[in-house]
Amino acid sequence: MQLTEGWKLISLLLLSTSLLTPAGRADETCNSPYLSSLIRGQEDYLYVWTLGVKGMGDGFDKLVTLDVKPGSRTFGKVIAQASARERGEAHHVGFTDDCRFLWAGALDSNKIHIFDVGANPGQPRLVRTITDLGARSGLFGPHTFYALPGRMLVGTLSNVKDGSGVTGMALYNNQGEYLRKYDLPVDRGGDGYGYDLAINPARNAMLTSSFTGRKNYMANLGALIKDPAAMKNFGNTMVMWNLKAMRPEQVFHVPGAPLEIRWSLRPGDDWAITSTALTSQLWLVKKDAKGGWQAKAVADIGDPAKTPLPVDMSITADSKGLWVNTFMDGTTRYFDISNPEAPRQTYAKKTGSQVNMVSQSWDGKRVYVSSSLLANWDKAGKDDEQFVKLYAWDGKQLTEQFKVDFYKLKLGRAHHMKLGSKGPGAPL
Amino acid sequence: MNRRLCMVALAVLCMAAVAVAWAWHGQRRPVVHPPLLAYPGAVPALGFVPPAPGTYQLERILRVPDGAVLDSDGTVHGLRALTTGKVTVFSFVYTYCADAQGCPLAYATLHALKGMVAHDAALRGRVRLVSMSFDPVADTPAAMRSYGGADADTGAGLVPWHFLTTASTAQLAPLLAGFGQDVSVVAPGAAGARPPVLAHLLKVYLIDQAGIVREMYAPAYLHPAVLRNDIATLLMEAKAAASAGRP
Repeated sequence: MQLTEGWKLISLLLLSTSLLTPAGRADETCNSPYLSSLIRGQEDYLYVWTLGVKGMGDGFDKLVTLDVKPGSRTFGKVIAQASARERGEAHHVGFTDDCRFLWAGALDSNKIHIFDVGANPGQPRLVRTITDLGARSGLFGPHTFYALPGRMLVGTLSNVKDGSGVTGMALYNNQGEYLRKYDLPVDRGGDGYGYDLAINPARNAMLTSSFTGRKNYMANLGALIKDPAAMKNFGNTMVMWNLKAMRPEQVFHVPGAPLEIRWSLRPGDDWAITSTALTSQLWLVKKDAKGGWQAKAVADIGDPAKTPLPVDMSITADSKGLWVNTFMDGTTRYFDISNPEAPRQTYAKKTGSQVNMVSQSWDGKRVYVSSSLLANWDKAGKDDEQFVKLYAWDGKQLTEQFKVDFYKLKLGRAHHMKLGSKGPGAPL
Repeated sequence: MNRRLCMVALAVLCMAAVAVAWAWHGQRRPVVHPPLLAYPGAVPALGFVPPAPGTYQLERILRVPDGAVLDSDGTVHGLRALTTGKVTVFSFVYTYCADAQGCPLAYATLHALKGMVAHDAALRGRVRLVSMSFDPVADTPAAMRSYGGADADTGAGLVPWHFLTTASTAQLAPLLAGFGQDVSVVAPGAAGARPPVLAHLLKVYLIDQAGIVREMYAPAYLHPAVLRNDIATLLMEAKAAASAGRP
């Protein structure tokens, strides 16, 4: 086909115009880049994957749905509960690429519960439980659920054999059928530990981080801290993978259990940021002038000597800001990362006696905070608050909009949150 | 200079038309003639060097569903017949889709891939392309034939490219489900007046000779160079299996 220069110009301008048109993106900023059919405006629902507590309600893990649409009659209320019919240490969740299903992991039972959130987004329904992870892969502790086209890549924390932190990733298709596993590297400086995974599709790059195995994450935190031998069994590495080949290419030494990974969402950026739980630092993974990936510490989070224990992070849509929760002091912190080489904390607020997960809306105006870390790591007594709070963020301060007390409602421990909407349209 | 000014003005008008179409949700979407966006320059640059063929493994993700489909000449086929025997690159499209990250991108990518395959002796004759409609009502075989234009080739050329549809939504639904392809109606079409506005996630499927999906491409890495290496990887795998006496 021959085109005149003019038509070529029109074609390219048409394409570039459309590329400038915002693609479907989640209101929440920290999702797989392969998700679709997501919302950019006001979310309707907040899904909260909740740990069951023995003797509280049915005692089971459950997906709790909150109505978060302003003006709704049930705004800030629980409108649905979908039980997993077990108490297996509910932890993280992730959407499939079409956002019709939420995969929810249980760190102690090694099960993956799949909830249908597409058919009726206000009333999620448990449709399947995957029980073959351990038998098929030898992996244990399904943690991160990262959507690939038609597939779910599951990052795990441990293994069936010895409960240590040596682990890998399992690949399932969206139908829930096991496909294969990928081991975290134990050579070239790798410790084999796993935690989060995050993909930069434009660079065919995947980063993984490292935490600890079942023997540690199911232990009582107070006892664990007093056990020097056990405290050595935390991850100290991140790994850069060739995504297409699923091949580890570079191991970075990142001491102190690097956890959540957030790639910059700005097109053309080539950096990701993470926080280290035990050493309380922000680390940057970025391409250097020669095009090679490098990792380096760029900021402290609070006073590392006091072990504030940074946990979840949420990056702003323009990738100039980063929310970081620190569990021990119950503080939600905002970092200016306009220059990712030198992040600066510009705001902090105590949002609870203990806080773990933080999720912000795509427009940055709403910030959700939840309380639970792990059943045996949460605080005791009056400090064991269990809640979800919504804050409004005006760029200067967080203002509480509602608090849902998960103990008062006999729901359990509030953990990972995902934003939901009523969906883009009707069935064909 | 006047000619250039005219072309720039026309381009601006085109951009405005796209913007209006975007904002005018639920209204008629512009019918984009595919060859316009099929210009190879419309395939975005690739931000990485894909791994060499044969140095990685493509997983067996799912089996392609079967069902009756209509080719652009009106012939009825079982889909399985058009997704086995050769390496197949398959995607769902609809003729009036104007989302640059959707059907036009799939068309442009397959068009560029077709050129690559036709000029590569190792691939030529071993690959087919299939584009299948989301909308059996608006996209009749004649509409699909028009959409495919000179690219439509039901088997005689170097690189067959089938432009398929189905006789009804009822026949289409199990195929969509089998591929795990989402689609929803954002705005229904008024009877006889305009087609519906559809929302879908672009997925392009790479299918091996046995009819197993081995890769699904999202826009972020849908690129002819990636497809070419993946096709070569499948052909190398088949050759190695044949040498070892495996089916």
